[in-house]
Parts: sequence; structure tokens; C-alpha cells
Amino acid sequence: MADYQEAPLATRPKTLDPNEYFSVSLEQRRSEQSRAALRANLKRQYQMQLNNPLRRELIEDPALTRWVYARTHTYPHFNATSKTSLLGAMFGVAPLFILYYVFKTDRDRKEGQIKAGTVERKFCMSS
Amino acid sequence: MAGVGFRRWAQALCRGNGSGISALVSGCRAASGVSKGSLPGPYPTTPEEKAAAAKKYNMTVEDYEPYPNKGEGYGDYPNLPERSQHERDPWYQWDHPDLRRNWGEPIHWDFDMYIRNRVDTSPSPVSWSSMCKQLFGFIGFMLFMFYLGEKFPSYQPVAAKQYPYNDLYLEKGGDPEKEPEEVKHYEI
Repeated sequence: MADYQEAPLATRPKTLDPNEYFSVSLEQRRSEQSRAALRANLKRQYQMQLNNPLRRELIEDPALTRWVYARTHTYPHFNATSKTSLLGAMFGVAPLFILYYVFKTDRDRKEGQIKAGTVERKFCMSS
Repeated sequence: MAGVGFRRWAQALCRGNGSGISALVSGCRAASGVSKGSLPGPYPTTPEEKAAAAKKYNMTVEDYEPYPNKGEGYGDYPNLPERSQHERDPWYQWDHPDLRRNWGEPIHWDFDMYIRNRVDTSPSPVSWSSMCKQLFGFIGFMLFMFYLGEKFPSYQPVAAKQYPYNDLYLEKGGDPEKEPEEVKHYEI
């Protein structure tokens, strides 16, 4: 297992991560502490609301509100760079024209075949 | 909800110390709902803005890292590590156990992709090269064998069915007066 290579886009198991064993410094412990303090504060807020016997409404989650807001209000932060314009053209504009031409040529070819009588139409009910 | 709004509007109408339209179209909002400072904003440039954004998203300042400002529409939303919810501790008492998430915790931009029904980034039990070799090796072998089977078929020998009475001459509508030609299905 010494040469374990993780799959692309997957993570390494925690027991095979060298940071777990080697670099456990004081700053790391302090940052872990501050993270734990934030987490504990949020837990406390949630539990206070959850166990409040006089509460009748849903507990709203501001993180969820922010996430939904961020995902829907991307336009104010949009800039037309070369990459974004290229992506927009590739996914929004090009398929329109490409698909039009593909379908049109295929249909015209089929129509020509039908007019010439070369294609066998087994289920055609109109002629 | 609409009833409350209408009532409030009617009360403002009765109370109103302004005149005409300005009394109805009030400039102030109700205090319920999110305040403007707690919603996502534009990309933070100064360290104070970064600290304020970290506080807003309930993260420590060294953890908070916005997406690079390439005009892709992220604003100041934090760039959390791309980890699926599969990887979170299944035994910890989460506030929302099915999502493995606590209340108020910052949500990843692609959270709906990383839920436990969808994309999984947890470590694979065998290495990628080994998985690729096994899968493509098996598929390649099967394709090769089927190709050989098409090229060199092997089955029980068959022949056309042989009918008696001169290939059923009378049954097939042959003339009873005429003599049919002799059909022999054997060789001695």
C-alpha cells in the first residue's frame, strides 16, 4: 500500500495522509480551537431555537439563504472576460446553429430520398 | 402572508402622516427576514472586507478564501474544499443527519452535487491504475473473444429438412396423374 495513488478528483484516506502524523504545530491547534468555538456557537444557537417550547415557526438557516442567494444572483458579479465569453458562445450560441444545420441537412436528404422513392417507409400511413 | 401585508398597508393608510401616494409607498421595510449585510456581496479586496466576509459566513479568517475574481459570478462566496458529503463522519451527531451538515455551516457552491445520492469524492479502495486495468482488461478480453467467435463460428452441423413422398409432391398440389420426379435423400 506504500504506492497507493488516489483516483483523480478523489481524496486520500485520512490514515494515509502524512500531515496527520508529522506536522501538528501550535498554530494548527489554535486554528482548530477557533473553528471549534465557531461550531459550538452555531450548535448552541440551533439547539436554543430547536428546544424552545414557545417556537411555532420553522428555524431558518441563514447559510442556506446565503447559498441560494449567491447561486441565483451571479449576474452582478459577472464580467465578460475571454473565458466567460468563450464558454457562453460554446454552450449557448454554437449549438443553435450546429443543430439547425445538422437537422436541416438530414431532413432534406430524407425528403429527397422519399421524393425519389429510394427509402422504404414501413409505417407511413399518409400515402 | 398576503393578508398580513394588506393589513399593514391599510393601517399605514389610516395612520399616514404623509399625503397622497407617499403615504402608501413607504420607504422602509419590515424588520423580519435577512438584513442586507448578511447576504453575499462583491469580491472582497481589502483585508477588512475579507475579515467581515469571513465573519458573515461563520468561518475563521485563515479558512475563508473567496473564488478568484475572474468574472464568473461568484462574488465573495467562500471557496470550500471540493469534498463530498460521503466523506463526513457518519457517527457524529449532525443537526441534519441525512445531509451530514450542521445548522449555519457554510454550504459548498456545488452542495447539491455533493449530497449522498450523487457525486462521491471519498477515497477508492484500490488505486486508479488498478481499477482501470481490471475494467478495461475485462471489457477488452470479452470483445476480443466475441470477435474471434464471429470469425470462427462453431456449432452443430445442420442441413435443410428432408420431406418424404418425393418432397410431398401430392400434398403440395402436384398433379396425381403425372409421375413426379424421384427425390432421393440418401446415398449408398
